[in-house]
Amino acid sequence: MTFLTIIFRDLWRRPIRTALTMLGIAIGIAAVIALVGMASGYEKGIVKQLDVIGIDVIVSNMEGGLMPKAFDESLTDQIAALPDVAEITTVLMQMLSVEDAPMIMVSGREWGGFTWEKLTVVEGRMPHDGNERAVVLGTMAAEMLQKKVGDSIQIEIEEFSVVGIVDGHSLVENGAIILSLPLFQEASGYEGRVNFIDIRVPTDAGNERIEALCTKIENSFEGIRAVRASEVVGTSQGFKIAKAMSWSTSILAIIVGIFGVMNTMLMTVFERTHEIGILLALGWKKRMIIGLILAEAAVMGILGGIIGVLLGAATLAILGTLPEVRGLLEPDLSLDLILKAILIAVVVGIASGLYPAWRGSRLSPSVALQG
Amino acid sequence: MLPQPIPPPAPVIFEASGLVKEFDDGRVAALQRVDFKIASGEFVALVGPSGSGKTTLLNMLGLLDSPSSGSLKYRGDEMAGLPDPSHYRAQEIGFIFQSFHLLGTFTVTENVQIPMFGQGLSAKARAARAAELLDSVGLSHRLNHFPVKLSGGERQRAAIARSLANRPGVLLADEPTGNLDSKNAAQVMELLAQLQREHQTTLVLVTHDREVAAHASRILTMRDGRIISDSAAS
Repeated sequence: MTFLTIIFRDLWRRPIRTALTMLGIAIGIAAVIALVGMASGYEKGIVKQLDVIGIDVIVSNMEGGLMPKAFDESLTDQIAALPDVAEITTVLMQMLSVEDAPMIMVSGREWGGFTWEKLTVVEGRMPHDGNERAVVLGTMAAEMLQKKVGDSIQIEIEEFSVVGIVDGHSLVENGAIILSLPLFQEASGYEGRVNFIDIRVPTDAGNERIEALCTKIENSFEGIRAVRASEVVGTSQGFKIAKAMSWSTSILAIIVGIFGVMNTMLMTVFERTHEIGILLALGWKKRMIIGLILAEAAVMGILGGIIGVLLGAATLAILGTLPEVRGLLEPDLSLDLILKAILIAVVVGIASGLYPAWRGSRLSPSVALQG
Repeated sequence: MLPQPIPPPAPVIFEASGLVKEFDDGRVAALQRVDFKIASGEFVALVGPSGSGKTTLLNMLGLLDSPSSGSLKYRGDEMAGLPDPSHYRAQEIGFIFQSFHLLGTFTVTENVQIPMFGQGLSAKARAARAAELLDSVGLSHRLNHFPVKLSGGERQRAAIARSLANRPGVLLADEPTGNLDSKNAAQVMELLAQLQREHQTTLVLVTHDREVAAHASRILTMRDGRIISDSAAS
């Protein structure tokens, strides 16, 4: 018999209560996995998209939610004149409800800009020019909207023809409706406005020159933010909000879990007062009693955490198939997130066991024996 | 014929002077200025009616409780000043209770191993020691049974095996036959007396049963928190 035998035997003594307590933790951890996994999936999708397109610097407004606020596109010419700007193009991107899709990315791109370069036509063709009232759909967007080449599609109050299905080589690109910038500006009521200016720098421009360009842009235009594409996710207000919301919701669920374990462990201590008295009379040190109670709480945390990870992974998989989510993000269940979630579960378990363990260790052996 | 040499007196293991224990803010005096000495290897019975203070005194000898005032020494050291009471309870003392106090979720052999945790023994060594002890009390066929499956006499024998887990110098038994029928009570007392003789253990036994007390070499009789007589058993 080992110390672990004692822990599991104690937990097994009331299997239903132990299982329900672990379920409490599991739900908290599942929330962490599902919500943070969604936020992380969204981040990764954007990073991949930027990487595929080959954007070095992104210029946007400092204000805005998930999408930055639109600004005057005339800024483009002034930025284009700055040193180290090799290529520049403008984009107006919005999340809209389009026909049966409750939320889909619509991307209006400056005709001829480099953001069109990496789109591979899978079916149909690209628009003939920037004035043709046509869109191309990413492969997943076509699937979600159940559109094929030749169909028409309504964006806001304007109608367009679907002329091609394209592979954008990233989830975000494949989940988007892509059309010429002026057409989308007109359809969305954002004439003359964009919310992204994408820049490519010369291939020989090192980090310092890119940083200098970003600083110059930010210093030259009030309220404008210029960040390297690789840093856009970390600095974006929208991503920060999404991340904060996913973590804060998860923490609420975790707090509920903490009280669940604490309640169980306190009940365990009260129920086992007599047993603790016996252990003390048999020479167990107070720190062994503390260790036993904390270890039981930690084991419930670990097991609850593992169940939570499985529940969270299942939830993520289900969420990934929902029409509201498909095409916008690919749920991300990384090893890092799994380890973090299990670590949280263990900390939750131990933290919840601290007070009960302290109570248990303070019992007087003679009084406890009568209990 | 040459005179037999007088054996040296056994060292004093417990020494109490002016021992007082009060409960309920002094309204209840469980022990009132109790003085006694117990020598190493003695078998002492504490007898007296319920409420006379026997169990309170036994709890103090086992450091389960502390005196309100007075002095209680173990091998010359003040017990209140012992740096680690749990070490004393684990290493020096073996407890035997009237209600056995075996843990129901553990088998007999596991119960015997419980006091060995924290004593630096491997799991294998703990299991071997438990098997050896249970064999010595005649329970080798009950190793993997849960206490609920054992008779009262078997449970007390298992508890006795547990009390010997760490080879204590002192056994403290609180009404060890109180929950047993006369046949089992006699067997348990024979076992205790035999173990006490074999291991030269100091045995302090609380009982209100004169027949049980008769196994002891010395009887301390208590009443109303005082020792009213100290005599050799007949």
